[in-house]
Amino acid sequence: MNWADILTYAAPVGLAAQGETIVQRAGLINIGLEGTMLMAAYASMKLTAITGSPFAGMAAGLIVGVAVCLLSALFTVRLGADQVVVGTALNLGALGATSTMFQAEFGRSGQLLSVPALPDWLPGIDLGTSLLLLWPFVATWFLWRTGAGLVMRGSGEYPAAVEAAGASAIRSRIIAVSVGGALAGLAGAYLAVGIAGTFVENITAGRGFVAIAMVTFGRLKPWWVLAASLVVSVAEQAQFTMQGWGLGVSPQLFVALPYTVALLVLVFAGKGTRLPESLGRPFRRVT
Amino acid sequence: MRSHLLLALLVVSLGCGPQGGSKPTSGETPREKPFKVALLTPGPISDAGWSALAYRGLEAVEKELGAEVNQQQATDAQIKDAMRSYAQEGYALVFGHGFEYNAPGVEVAKDFPATVFVSSSGGESSANAGAFRFLLEEGFYLAGMTAGSLTKSGTVAMIGGPDVPSIRSTFKAFRAGAEAGRPGIRVIETFTGSNDDVAKAKQATAAAISQGADYVIHQANAAAQGVFDACKEGGAKAFGSNSDQNSNPSGVVIASAVIVAEPAFVALARRVKEGQYHGGIETMRMADGAISFVWGDAMEIPGAVKAKIEAAQKDIESGKLSVPYDRF
Repeated sequence: MNWADILTYAAPVGLAAQGETIVQRAGLINIGLEGTMLMAAYASMKLTAITGSPFAGMAAGLIVGVAVCLLSALFTVRLGADQVVVGTALNLGALGATSTMFQAEFGRSGQLLSVPALPDWLPGIDLGTSLLLLWPFVATWFLWRTGAGLVMRGSGEYPAAVEAAGASAIRSRIIAVSVGGALAGLAGAYLAVGIAGTFVENITAGRGFVAIAMVTFGRLKPWWVLAASLVVSVAEQAQFTMQGWGLGVSPQLFVALPYTVALLVLVFAGKGTRLPESLGRPFRRVT
Repeated sequence: MRSHLLLALLVVSLGCGPQGGSKPTSGETPREKPFKVALLTPGPISDAGWSALAYRGLEAVEKELGAEVNQQQATDAQIKDAMRSYAQEGYALVFGHGFEYNAPGVEVAKDFPATVFVSSSGGESSANAGAFRFLLEEGFYLAGMTAGSLTKSGTVAMIGGPDVPSIRSTFKAFRAGAEAGRPGIRVIETFTGSNDDVAKAKQATAAAISQGADYVIHQANAAAQGVFDACKEGGAKAFGSNSDQNSNPSGVVIASAVIVAEPAFVALARRVKEGQYHGGIETMRMADGAISFVWGDAMEIPGAVKAKIEAAQKDIESGKLSVPYDRF
């Protein structure tokens, strides 16, 4: 077991899941996480290819992540549209848009694309993995130790009460969506320039959906979400090592192992998870 | 209400999704009927591998025969729909790039006698439907033999995307070649389950390298960059597959097992155009120039090894050496 690898491969799902945790605490479900990551991954690859700097790529990912999520917040928060529908549209749109742009620009060369990868600060510790490890401190402090954090959690439970108390549930939700978008963007960018050093169509390959599962798995608590992402990453690492043993067992069993582990943990540890009261419910101000 | 909205969104988004290609143009019929060729691929043509090489073949048909061409990504339930649409639009040849297009092609061919349906591999055939198979296994055998002859650790690895019969068959040939290069060699076989997941391909390759593999071949298509990057980080060498990947920026690709699709596609399309196609199942081999094994310059290959591989290549071409492969 190589801890640096486990952290690295846990980071895309882990970071996206931390963002989704904030979003869900504020009462929204961002189904469009996968699409957000994909758009950010494309933007980061593109900017890294132009500038030669993976840090510029990470910044591009962050900005695109926030922009895409703010666009979806326009529908889900300002207009109170159905969050599942908006998220699904975002996912399909992002896959189509990134694939079309990629094919038009790079795709028909018949060669694989390669961009400079993010450098390590310490062995296994780079921008993505350090963020993965430090974020839970920030999130826990913010959500449970600040007034704005209280408003945010209130917006997830009973937004009308937040508004009655003189705070803005709408503004709080928009801030949560932006933070979620920033982290999803960094997650997608890290996948493209931190790990892969390239972009391919559908590079996220379902990680956005796994991240949403990790939020439930981690009971909407930042440290638990981190732990959940690491457990799945350990299982992933283990299954590739086990395939190498050549046991003659069908590889599908191994490929499914991380998700089986996640399901089992959820079955035994998931009892008593309390979701925010207003999760997924649009909030409209009564005027 | 919600389900209706969702359905509408799905339809709209799929319509402008990555299926690619411009829609066949309807409208007024030109005086001389153009020769039209369509290609169905299982993956995006930007994959630098399996689907990309078929698209190159299609481009060659367009260029050399002046054909009107179109391409779509179609899998599962979309396959028959796409085939019927093309046939109704008057396409003379619909090529499905994979085993999975064989049975639907033979079935749809009954309703459209004026259109020829050909798939890459598959066992069924009729008067206007059939299959031809690129025997990439011959290239994989030589790659395996090279890996077996060069390995210092006695362990080599094969990294696959999804576990499908065509990939398994090439791995079988690689294993046989490795065994011929070094009897008793350990060949690690890992599948990631995906053609797009670069991170998983990289992780799987790193795991194989940490178990001792020093030469790695892949069948990961678009995700192959992950395999090459992991080899670079882990100090292993790699083989390219499907396309010539020797110039990959990672600098670890010592040779590639390549499918040369263009001449085969053009020859097939020409036969269809001249009305000379009558079905059947064909195999495209190294002897036909459809498969090749190309050396790169990522590493100095000892002369003795190179001579051994080239001798084996001659034996394959002359039919003296037959490479094992699965029939599916």
